[in-house]
Amino acid sequence: MQEFLLLIRTEGDVWTSLSPQKLQEHIAKGTDYIGRLMKEGKLKSAAPLDKGSRIITESNGLIKDGPFNEAKEVIAGYFHITANDINEAVEIAKSNPIFTDIPTKIEVHLMKAIGG
Amino acid sequence: MATQIISKLIDHLFRHESGKIVSVLTRIFGAENLDLAEDVMQDSLIEAMNQWDYKGVPENPSAWLFKVAKNKALNILNRNKYKRQYSSDVIHYMRSEWTAEPAMNHLFSEKEILDDQLRMMFTCCHPSISKDSQVALALKTLCGFSIPEIARAFLTTEENIKKRLVRARQKIRELKIAFEVPSGVSLEDRLHAVLETIYLLFNEGYSASKGNDLVRYELCEEAIRLSEIIVSHEAVKDRSNVYAILALMYLNACRFTARTDDMGRILTMAEQNRSLWDLALMQKGFNYLEKSTAYKGLSTYHILAAISAHHCAAPNFESTDWKGILSLYDSLARIDSSPVVLLNRSIALSRVFGVSKALEQLEQLRDKPAMASYHLFYSTEAEFYIQINEFQKACTSLKKAINLSPLESEKELLKDKLNSCLEKMS
Repeated sequence: MQEFLLLIRTEGDVWTSLSPQKLQEHIAKGTDYIGRLMKEGKLKSAAPLDKGSRIITESNGLIKDGPFNEAKEVIAGYFHITANDINEAVEIAKSNPIFTDIPTKIEVHLMKAIGG
Repeated sequence: MATQIISKLIDHLFRHESGKIVSVLTRIFGAENLDLAEDVMQDSLIEAMNQWDYKGVPENPSAWLFKVAKNKALNILNRNKYKRQYSSDVIHYMRSEWTAEPAMNHLFSEKEILDDQLRMMFTCCHPSISKDSQVALALKTLCGFSIPEIARAFLTTEENIKKRLVRARQKIRELKIAFEVPSGVSLEDRLHAVLETIYLLFNEGYSASKGNDLVRYELCEEAIRLSEIIVSHEAVKDRSNVYAILALMYLNACRFTARTDDMGRILTMAEQNRSLWDLALMQKGFNYLEKSTAYKGLSTYHILAAISAHHCAAPNFESTDWKGILSLYDSLARIDSSPVVLLNRSIALSRVFGVSKALEQLEQLRDKPAMASYHLFYSTEAEFYIQINEFQKACTSLKKAINLSPLESEKELLKDKLNSCLEKMS
């Protein structure tokens, strides 16, 4: 069993473009999806990320922090899951119902384990 | 709608639902927050009662109750975010907007509920908690009994039960007792402690003429229900002693209603109307007894169940296989040679080898501390004397038994016997 970090990238404030009814349907689909992962014992944790992210950069030996540019693209949230291999993790990411409602990219990262 | 009817519905129909909810909530909050789980359950019941009184009982009251409990739990977790510490392994799911609701639904699924009830049993029956407190806590959390009901079942005060519960919860917090089913080698020992408590619960209900019959029968039913949860669980299934304790309880429970007459007086095995025995329960008992012999291990429960099976199998008192029963008591005495076992064995002894042998056995028990003040020792002795027409001696024993018996109803029965002995002498 390997662990994966799934980052959900969306464009800015996409949620506000959904009608209240659409949003509700979207939440119901998401609840089902997450419930299924939980039942299969594959979900370690998942959470949406809030606004106000900061980004820390270094230039010429100076470490600076500043706002994360949220206008264009944001990390809407993350999933920490377990899967047999990256192919299964990709399949899990593909079945995320977010794709049907919102322009999304999901990054699938294998988390390196000790000795792995 | 009459509040009384609704409150009765909540009392009885939802007793088990409440046990499920408290178990799941304890999984969510952690064992150290058991009191919080009980409070949320209580609040949910009150809300149900108010709503249903006003709007009528919904179609699926259980689901309704689960939903209220889920919402209340989530509210509390959000409200107390920084105040309480929760040790549970699922608490992080409750902190995230994405996972809180699915996790709540998942934890309230059938399989998880079953797991949590089993976890609750192991937590309630932790060996560092006193047996009295274990039983009270199991009844409160798993069986949905109220404090007055527990007090009534144990013929003690509500204050006393409250103290036992407080002590039990304190122990759980102090020792950080985990909410889990133990694994590996410790499972055997811990399961043994759980079964002991369940058997204690059953006996409390079954033991003669104590308190209200209805409450007592419910204790027996609960003991059986908890054992059925254990036996149905992957982690502990196919254990010989679990099957044996179930056999023992069913083979006794099937005779429950036949044990007393209309006046609530206890009838001896010879006096019971065997057509009142519940054959469906008896059959379950025999099935479990068979299963208990299919797996390795021999416990006192096996032997006691086999003794009960002999009584159940006899169409009438006269055809009881006393030789078989005596040899089982011999095996039992090799594992547990306590005076109470030997006292019970003496009855089988009297049937097989005659009353004088049985009286010899009683002579050896007379000085044991457990017997000197035990009314059943003297009433058994009196019974033997009556059988050999030694009425003078029977009267002496009966008088001691009457003095020592803790219960009025039993005293009455013994006094009747004393009078008939006195008549026979005159």
